Amino acid sequence: MKNYFIILILFFSTIYAQNGLEIATMVDERSIPKDIISKTTMLLTNKKGKTRTSTILSKSSNNGSQQILWFLSPSDDKGVAFLKIEYENKSDEMRMWLPAFKKVRRISSSKKGDSFMGSDLSYEDMTSRSLADNSYKRLNDDMIDGKDCFLLEVLPNENVKSTYSKHITWIDKNSMIAVQEESYDLGGQLRKKKKFYFDSISGYNVINKIFVEDVKKNHTTTLILEDIKVDSGLEQSLFQEKNLKRLPSN
Amino acid sequence: MFLKRSLFICLCPFIFGQLSINGEIKPMAMFNISDKKQMNLPFRFGELRMGYTMGDFDLLVNSALEHRWGKNQSPTFQLREAYATWFPSWGEIKFGKQIHAWGVADGNNPTDNLNPYDYYYMFLQGADRKIGSLSLSVISYWNNWQLEGVIIPSHIANRLPFNEPEFPFQIPIEPNEYEKNENTLEYGFQLKKVIGETDIGISYFDGYDRSFSLLGIDTLNIVQLSPKFGYRSTSIIGLNVVTFIKDFTLRVESALFSTKNDYEAKWYNYLDAKADYIQYVIQIEYRMENSKTIGAQLIGNNILKASGNTLDLSSMNMTKLNTNNFIPGMGTPFAMISNKSLLVAGSNRFFDDDLEFNYNVLFNLENPGQLFGFSLEYLLSDNWFINVSTSYFIGNNDPINRFEQLEDYSNTQFQLSYTF
Repeated sequence: MKNYFIILILFFSTIYAQNGLEIATMVDERSIPKDIISKTTMLLTNKKGKTRTSTILSKSSNNGSQQILWFLSPSDDKGVAFLKIEYENKSDEMRMWLPAFKKVRRISSSKKGDSFMGSDLSYEDMTSRSLADNSYKRLNDDMIDGKDCFLLEVLPNENVKSTYSKHITWIDKNSMIAVQEESYDLGGQLRKKKKFYFDSISGYNVINKIFVEDVKKNHTTTLILEDIKVDSGLEQSLFQEKNLKRLPSN
Repeated sequence: MFLKRSLFICLCPFIFGQLSINGEIKPMAMFNISDKKQMNLPFRFGELRMGYTMGDFDLLVNSALEHRWGKNQSPTFQLREAYATWFPSWGEIKFGKQIHAWGVADGNNPTDNLNPYDYYYMFLQGADRKIGSLSLSVISYWNNWQLEGVIIPSHIANRLPFNEPEFPFQIPIEPNEYEKNENTLEYGFQLKKVIGETDIGISYFDGYDRSFSLLGIDTLNIVQLSPKFGYRSTSIIGLNVVTFIKDFTLRVESALFSTKNDYEAKWYNYLDAKADYIQYVIQIEYRMENSKTIGAQLIGNNILKASGNTLDLSSMNMTKLNTNNFIPGMGTPFAMISNKSLLVAGSNRFFDDDLEFNYNVLFNLENPGQLFGFSLEYLLSDNWFINVSTSYFIGNNDPINRFEQLEDYSNTQFQLSYTF
């Protein structure tokens, strides 16, 4: 009993002693699937409540650093496909297949603030955040939706080109997953509020819903991930230009 | 029993394949700006695309219904594409009537000469203004390399509007027949390589002009002087580069054309025309915040040399072919309007992205002439769009100036489209 009590004290003292970087490292090192396949419904809602729905088949690996996705609907976007490959030492490679033009178009990855297909998610929002590219400061813990959370202030380093000046991130202590985030523009004004929901799939905590509100535009995006499959053994060769041109059968 | 089993085995792949159908219905009306009258040029009223996927095989049929307003007009069916694709692990093989797309610039591609153009749709973009041709295409991917080969067994020419007073360019002569070699096989290949932040590609195409030219004169015809029209043999070496410089994207495309009249003359006066010309497009684009884009294209067409003989159709006198009277029969259609022009284009979205505004301004850099164009597309609901667009040309009262000829074509279009 005495030993148990000591372990408990040690555990809590460790938790409280953790600084921002250590928490971010724990988030970064949590167990994640090698690859994820999902069918995503993207619901865009403007300030008048008008909605537009798209469905997307997404396949990603290496924590989203390689991603290929195909638009299944609406009909005017059907067949449009997007490939993103992130590199550590050089700019990311992004290509789009535009069926109406029958062309794969290489697009610039430098404009990270661009909206992804009219959504409130920018290419930067869709890119994995590198530990080394940011500094982390732990703020006072907080409770969100009944979840005990670490609160982190994430500041992009000066040498990193970002469209944000800082992020405030709520991290669920149990799952070590970010469940809420506020992102501030370069003027220091709140730009986006994001909420992340997750579920346990094959032993992993996998995000199955994302809600993003662009505070400035009063526009929201809801992504609902369904038919989620993890560790399907996606091959590296999937993330190539040739696979953009064809909707996969599975 | 055996028959049933065989039938089941044969039908299995079709049962387990995936069928997809999509298309658009897009009635359109076009009005001349100068006299406000409706222009009765043909347009595609609807399009239907049917795809069938089965294992590593795809079948695609793309058809359209062309219509023109006016009395006694009925829609005509167009089979725009019908081809099969096999996707082996190393690439893709496509066979059938298909539209190809080479080149890296937007809209104006000197290296893209595999398909003829439909001049009724020359102000549209992408595959919409091309005509499918029966061809075999093989693409192989290998690390950062990509090699594509295309074979077109038989030459197909541009669709040109003859006797169309509402079309901007009046073609002075409509040949009754075209002279053709027995073998009009065309072929080409392109090799692409990704080098870091740069995509580079070279291409070669050997074929026949898409627009006709004068090949000779049958002077043995004693009743009247009989010009013979056909298509010159042309080979094209192309270069494509896409690269990124800070926040700018640079797309450069250039093609060197070598053309000659190689028709085996059966008449007395064969015109041994030869010419080299170069076309290029230098495109620079910049994306601003909120997905606004702005870009500029410098489009050029230089006749490097021309030799041989031709007939001056106005005087019917034989004359020497030179860089001033030579007319290219291939290349980007915009090079037909001007030898050097600057196109500035951009887009912006309003009302929570429901309204898309596109604009373009084309300046003729050699002679006076401008084109001002804009389009507004409003999303009515998930599948319904309404589009209003205007093209306004300004010339200089010189009847030879292409922009002057285009002035009467200045128009406003209204289109409602439904996608399914």
